[in-house]
Amino acid sequence: MDSTSSTLLSWIVFTPMIFAVIALLTPSFMESKLRTLTLIQTLVSAVLGIMLYMGFDGTSSTMQMVHFIPWLPDWGINYRVGIDGISLPLVLLTSFISPAAILGTWPHGELKKEKFFVVLIMALQSGMYGTFLSTDLFLFYFFWEIVLIPMFFMIGIWGGKDRIYATIKFFIYTMIGSLLMLVAIFWLIHSSQEFFGQPTANMAQLSQMSFGFDGSSLANAFRSPQTYLFLAFALAFVIKVPMVPFHTWLPDAHVQAPTVGSVFLAAVLLKLGTYGLMRIAIPFFPQAALYFSDFFILMGVIGIIYGAFCALSQTDFKKLVAYSSVSHMGYIMVGLFSFQKVAIAGSLYQMINHGISAGGLFMIVGFLYERLHTRNLEDFGGLAKIVPLMAIAFMIMTLSSVALPGSNGFVGEFPILLGAFQVQPVFVLFAGTGVILGAIYALKAYQMVMLGPKTTRHDVSHLHDLDAKEIIAMITLTIFVFGIGFFPRTFFWKSDATLEEYGTTVIQKSRNP
Amino acid sequence: MNIMQMFPLASLTSEQLMCLLPLFTISAGGLFSLLVGTNKSNGHGYAFIVSFAAVLYALIEGCSNLFVSDISLLQNTLVLNPFTRSLNLMIMCFALIAVVLTYGQDKKEGLLAEIYGLILFSCAGMMLMVSTSHLLFMFISLEIMSLAIYVMVAMRRSSRFSSEAGLKYFILGGLASALFLYGSALIFGSTGSFELSTIAHNVQMGQPSIIFYIGLGLVTVAMLFKVGAFPFHGWLPDVYQGAATNVTGYMGAGVKFTAFMAFAKISQHLVFNESVEGLHWFHSFLWFVAAASMIYGNVVAISQTEIKRMLAYSTIAHTGYLLLGLIVVRTGVEDTRSLIIYLFFYALSNLGVFALISLFEDKNQKDLNLEQMAGLGIKHPILGALFTIFLFSMAGIPLTSGFIGKYGLFSSAVSRGEVPLVVIAVLTSVVSVYYYLRVIVYLFMKESTGEMATLHRLKGPTVAAVISALATLQFGVFPKAVIHFVKMFAR
Repeated sequence: MDSTSSTLLSWIVFTPMIFAVIALLTPSFMESKLRTLTLIQTLVSAVLGIMLYMGFDGTSSTMQMVHFIPWLPDWGINYRVGIDGISLPLVLLTSFISPAAILGTWPHGELKKEKFFVVLIMALQSGMYGTFLSTDLFLFYFFWEIVLIPMFFMIGIWGGKDRIYATIKFFIYTMIGSLLMLVAIFWLIHSSQEFFGQPTANMAQLSQMSFGFDGSSLANAFRSPQTYLFLAFALAFVIKVPMVPFHTWLPDAHVQAPTVGSVFLAAVLLKLGTYGLMRIAIPFFPQAALYFSDFFILMGVIGIIYGAFCALSQTDFKKLVAYSSVSHMGYIMVGLFSFQKVAIAGSLYQMINHGISAGGLFMIVGFLYERLHTRNLEDFGGLAKIVPLMAIAFMIMTLSSVALPGSNGFVGEFPILLGAFQVQPVFVLFAGTGVILGAIYALKAYQMVMLGPKTTRHDVSHLHDLDAKEIIAMITLTIFVFGIGFFPRTFFWKSDATLEEYGTTVIQKSRNP
Repeated sequence: MNIMQMFPLASLTSEQLMCLLPLFTISAGGLFSLLVGTNKSNGHGYAFIVSFAAVLYALIEGCSNLFVSDISLLQNTLVLNPFTRSLNLMIMCFALIAVVLTYGQDKKEGLLAEIYGLILFSCAGMMLMVSTSHLLFMFISLEIMSLAIYVMVAMRRSSRFSSEAGLKYFILGGLASALFLYGSALIFGSTGSFELSTIAHNVQMGQPSIIFYIGLGLVTVAMLFKVGAFPFHGWLPDVYQGAATNVTGYMGAGVKFTAFMAFAKISQHLVFNESVEGLHWFHSFLWFVAAASMIYGNVVAISQTEIKRMLAYSTIAHTGYLLLGLIVVRTGVEDTRSLIIYLFFYALSNLGVFALISLFEDKNQKDLNLEQMAGLGIKHPILGALFTIFLFSMAGIPLTSGFIGKYGLFSSAVSRGEVPLVVIAVLTSVVSVYYYLRVIVYLFMKESTGEMATLHRLKGPTVAAVISALATLQFGVFPKAVIHFVKMFAR
């Protein structure tokens, strides 16, 4: 591999950081240009993303473009980034959702402490890229924690009325999970010392280790080291997903966060959890994962239905979208823990698709909030005639969210249900009702906002429609909604080899160690 | 009696003198700075320059002497090998930052110019204490260190809290010293030696008498008092609040470092000596003290509304983490590596955070209320950022050195099989994340309701805070240098 391609991943990770330093050094009379700078940064990242896609070899299932720098070799810890078919779509999602989010969600008025805000957005992106790309467990943890910090400040400083409560809840919830994961990481690295003769945090090596597991009874399972390790990792990840009953931080964080924060949170941050499950928790501890899979599928199904019912009863538009996230992320849990190749692939697609549809819906909420300063569904009504473009964009995102065939949502949810049906038909029957419930609440929201008689609570007659920037953002997302919906292979074929290999290995390792 | 015995200094070889030079420089610098401090017009300035130059010179001397061969003096009571010399270097670093931190703060708080001399004397005591494994010598150096610190704590003369703190610390510290001395005497009585390795050897030979256990218990309690572990922590919050903030920072860094290194040496030889029966009780005792310190410190810190008091309780929790690192110290100095790294990083952020507090504190103010800090980070963004770095470091969040320290400490404990205690530690550190975040919330996210703390533009604390912050970030991202340094000498 030549040297230019092998540093590409590091460029992807650190480009936002470099721009963040530039932003910090911007003199005060140039501060009005900071938004442009952010846009340039996200566009540069998107170009790097396209270069990555071009250079990625879709026929290989191993880590590509690995960049390795010794960091703390004594502890077996190194800077090691690489990409395979699982992380590729997630990195691309991040690099395309970022410019769309910047274009579509920037507040129209002055923003207090804009410089700090810009720096946080950039740091957040670096953290997200780093988490998806690191192939060293310690590095993964490092970036995983770094992602928290910008989000903490973003919600806490620019958030709504209860922002402090929401941001502390968000931070503490995630910390509890990640610190227990840290203990499991110690254990893994310590075991690697016995296994390989020297400590290592390289994920490829760690996944080769096997830990004792005895699934003959529940008591025996809980005496097995693999169970502890699996549960420690899984807890950290399912809090992030979020899986019921660890989901309560999500509605608070979403509702209080500024729109751009909500978009990043829904589109990318939640995927960190499912990505962690897919990358670490399940392949490292396949037997324990299989043993507890029924529980996680059940929780996923409960999440789907519970999230949908909660969404149904909301009057706050943003909270409705937040609960719809709980519901849609439940499908990914069902797919991952069904141990069926088709469902696992569907879960990866669903991660991307949910990123697009939830990101888009949060942007719509943002558009409305910018214009009317309310999120209460009862305050809207009959807006379709006044803002037709917004109505169209909203309709597209709604259809994507309810998984209409032909939209991207269908591509993800259908294979999940198909695959999971083979192992848990009853659970999947219930999960299927989530699709119907999803249509009910999403269409209800659309109806309350766009259709019906014109609202009298606000003066909406002069409401201005989407401006150029917002249109570009929505068009970007629309291309993905229908592109993936009609031509899923075009978008996902480069992941096939990895998913095939991943599915085979995981299923085989989970059954016979 | 010949002339050599009358002047033991004259009998030293040039190499031995070289090794002792940092110690001499520090002590002489302390004396000299007392002298120039009496100057009426600019005593503080001269004392600062002299003490700063002395520590800096000693630091350079110490660096250049690192690689010379081992020296032992006074019948092996004072051992200067690469390990102890590197510990001395770290202590001198803390003293240097403390001297810088005091500049400016001394005038604001009305501290006498003698403060610089006292910093240097206590530094000399610390250096001696980590260089010896002789119980009696340890006691003497402990007293050299502590007496200077007592005076420093009580030095805010117009504040009654300071006098209260000084008296409390003096009385309780004196009690602890007495316990240490009595314990050493009992150990000597039952084993016939003050030298730790000889004691360990003698204990292994024959079953020790009950007197040995009593003595060891007294010494352990005295050390637990000095490090501020849970049931022996009563003095800590008041002393932290009453002392001038620069003194608090120096105490939290230097005294803790020294006491822990001495404690590690004692426990490694005596407590965790697996061939002796009955010592597992001490292990269990320390286990419970560690767990209790973590839980008590973190839980009580939540309800504090004053920042120095909150940090005082959080330091009890950090003592708990460090005790976790201490009980996995078994065979040799290799095991103390992660302990040293944690202490070093903790000391850096500790010095930094107290430097920042001293910038915002008024004269004789007992403590900075969180309400007074509301909105400070927005008003002074750079200082707010520094505050955030230190608090994140103490909470153990990546990008800061505190995370690396915690990682090393906890992972060494996991590899020794102390998983339950590590789980307690990480769960209680979630609690600590809450109260550290709360300070950041006040700094950046709350509007000021009442009076906001005013910024005193003091040069010394600002420089100290910036240096500590840079080091915290540098070692947080590229910790290799420190880890290699410690690995090179701790073996």
